[in-house]
Amino acid sequence: MTNSTSIVNDYYELCKPRVVMLIVFTAVIGMFLAVPTPQDLPLIETIFGTLGIGLAAASAAAINQIVEQKFDAEMKRTEDRPLITGGINQKQALIFAIVVGLLAMLMLVVLVNPLTAGLTFLSLIGYAFIYTLYLKHATPQNIVIGGAAGAAPPVLGWAAVTNDVTVHSLILFLIIFVWTPPHFWALAIAKKDDYAKVGIPMLPVTHGVKFTRLQVLLYTVLLLIVTALPFLSQMSGMVYLIASTILGGIFLYYAVRMQNPELKGMPMKTFGYSIIYLMLLFSFLLIDHYVVYFIV
Amino acid sequence: MRDSTFRKIALIATTLALFVVVLGAYVRLSDAGLGCPDWPGCYGHVGVPESEDKIAAANEAYPERPVEPAKAWKEMIHRYFASTLGLLIIILAVIGWRNKKNIGQQYRLPIFLVGLVIFQGLLGMWTVTVKLNPTIVMLHLMGGLTTLSLLWWVTLRQSKMFVGGSSYPSQLKPFSGIVVIGTIIVVIQLFLGGWTSSNYAALVCTDFPTCQGYLIPPTDFKEAFNLWRGTEINFEFGVLDNTARMTIHFVHRVGALVTFLYIGWLAFKLLKSEVLSLKNLGLILLIVLVAQVSLGIANVLLSLPLLVAVAHNGVGALLLLTMVTINHAIKPPSQM
Repeated sequence: MTNSTSIVNDYYELCKPRVVMLIVFTAVIGMFLAVPTPQDLPLIETIFGTLGIGLAAASAAAINQIVEQKFDAEMKRTEDRPLITGGINQKQALIFAIVVGLLAMLMLVVLVNPLTAGLTFLSLIGYAFIYTLYLKHATPQNIVIGGAAGAAPPVLGWAAVTNDVTVHSLILFLIIFVWTPPHFWALAIAKKDDYAKVGIPMLPVTHGVKFTRLQVLLYTVLLLIVTALPFLSQMSGMVYLIASTILGGIFLYYAVRMQNPELKGMPMKTFGYSIIYLMLLFSFLLIDHYVVYFIV
Repeated sequence: MRDSTFRKIALIATTLALFVVVLGAYVRLSDAGLGCPDWPGCYGHVGVPESEDKIAAANEAYPERPVEPAKAWKEMIHRYFASTLGLLIIILAVIGWRNKKNIGQQYRLPIFLVGLVIFQGLLGMWTVTVKLNPTIVMLHLMGGLTTLSLLWWVTLRQSKMFVGGSSYPSQLKPFSGIVVIGTIIVVIQLFLGGWTSSNYAALVCTDFPTCQGYLIPPTDFKEAFNLWRGTEINFEFGVLDNTARMTIHFVHRVGALVTFLYIGWLAFKLLKSEVLSLKNLGLILLIVLVAQVSLGIANVLLSLPLLVAVAHNGVGALLLLTMVTINHAIKPPSQM
């Protein structure tokens, strides 16, 4: 690999591309769900809303890596990050994060609407500073509260195309909010030693693996209830209800299997499934919303 | 076994992408872009309204655009082929992701392509809903060409085609800079071509090498390259005046001259290379380049016959693919 491509690659990794992709994905689905037909998507707001939200997420990811540098260096999971390997130095990363963040805000204020810009800004601050700097190191409820920032994207997407925050968009928020703890704690159990080593008070570190496993199960049950809300509020129809029940059932199966400490690989598998679960769940919200086109 | 599945699907997707791009040009050039005034359906149908009562109902719902089944079918067939391509790309991304631990497995670009192809779908929708806004039409073309190029790149990297024959880094390195410049020139020229077509500027000059008798026509760059004209008006058949269209046409011609000279020079340089794959690519590049310039001139002199116009788009895409292949050949994937 030549030098210039590896620098591009380092900046790419600084943005946590996989996380950003999931964020953009849920934001775009929020946009699609906000309008009756895709034709009602406003052109400028859709394009620059997506771009702005994506760039804001990338900026937040970069800030997170700058702030967490000394912890990341000591954990196996994060030791490949570009600030740790030395591909990018702290100053470069900071300038990058500020430029990208400002660009995102400018785009959202000028080309989308101030509501979306404001909400996106709050999410960015919530994740990059409140969660990363404070919550993460202060309480085992860190990811529960911090999950609010990660749950914001569908609300942001919704606001971008309608200039409004509605009950329906808040239901989408609630789904991701409740999904985050079982998703993250499954990972935290698998990577418990890493977190313990650097003294981050993740739930399995402070309250033990057994207690965390139970929390994963309880939150999964809660998730099943919450994911019925789109149907109950008549936002979504039967297609969604069937899909969400099956997907939730599988999640529950993983969560139950995870209770058995003999099955060593289960926490990581549960974590892997939780990502697929969220992507499929949102895909089905979309399919259900537009299913009318497939059956006419 | 999985690896060969990936390669096959990548190759099929590339071929289909080329077809969809050319089909899109055909839709544009046969003025069928507004054949269906809505999206994703056509007058609310999965196909095209054809029975008399359905056509009557459709005409009532869209009085400003009565049904023309021939045009509507062109648009819908383009949409269905494009959707099939989208599905193939999703399959490619899934297979790539599942095999990402294998050495040399392509998976980042396939995932990026999923996002790109969804965006392409939206651009296709906006092409219709903002009534052929030239910026959107041009972006839709560029998005299609990007999709095509990346699919071809993925295919090449995965299958290690066109890197046959022994070569030393010292034989490849001198090309890296000049190939990048060549690629940028081709991309700019494709943009100018798309801009010429979406602003209906191809027929503004019917003489060559002069344009309306001028060797260098009067120009209005500000109007000609105003990149955003809003979403409120119908852009079908163009909204620009004669001078602005001449400017666009003329700039595309200047671009053609630059492309012809530079890419021609590059082709000869490749032909003189001692690396067999580069020699072959030099020959291909030369043939494609000459064909493309000839088609461009033929478009002017013959007043844009549909077949020639579509071929000018298709060969333009091939020129881009040739540049992608050369980029690949001068940076062979490292074999660890």
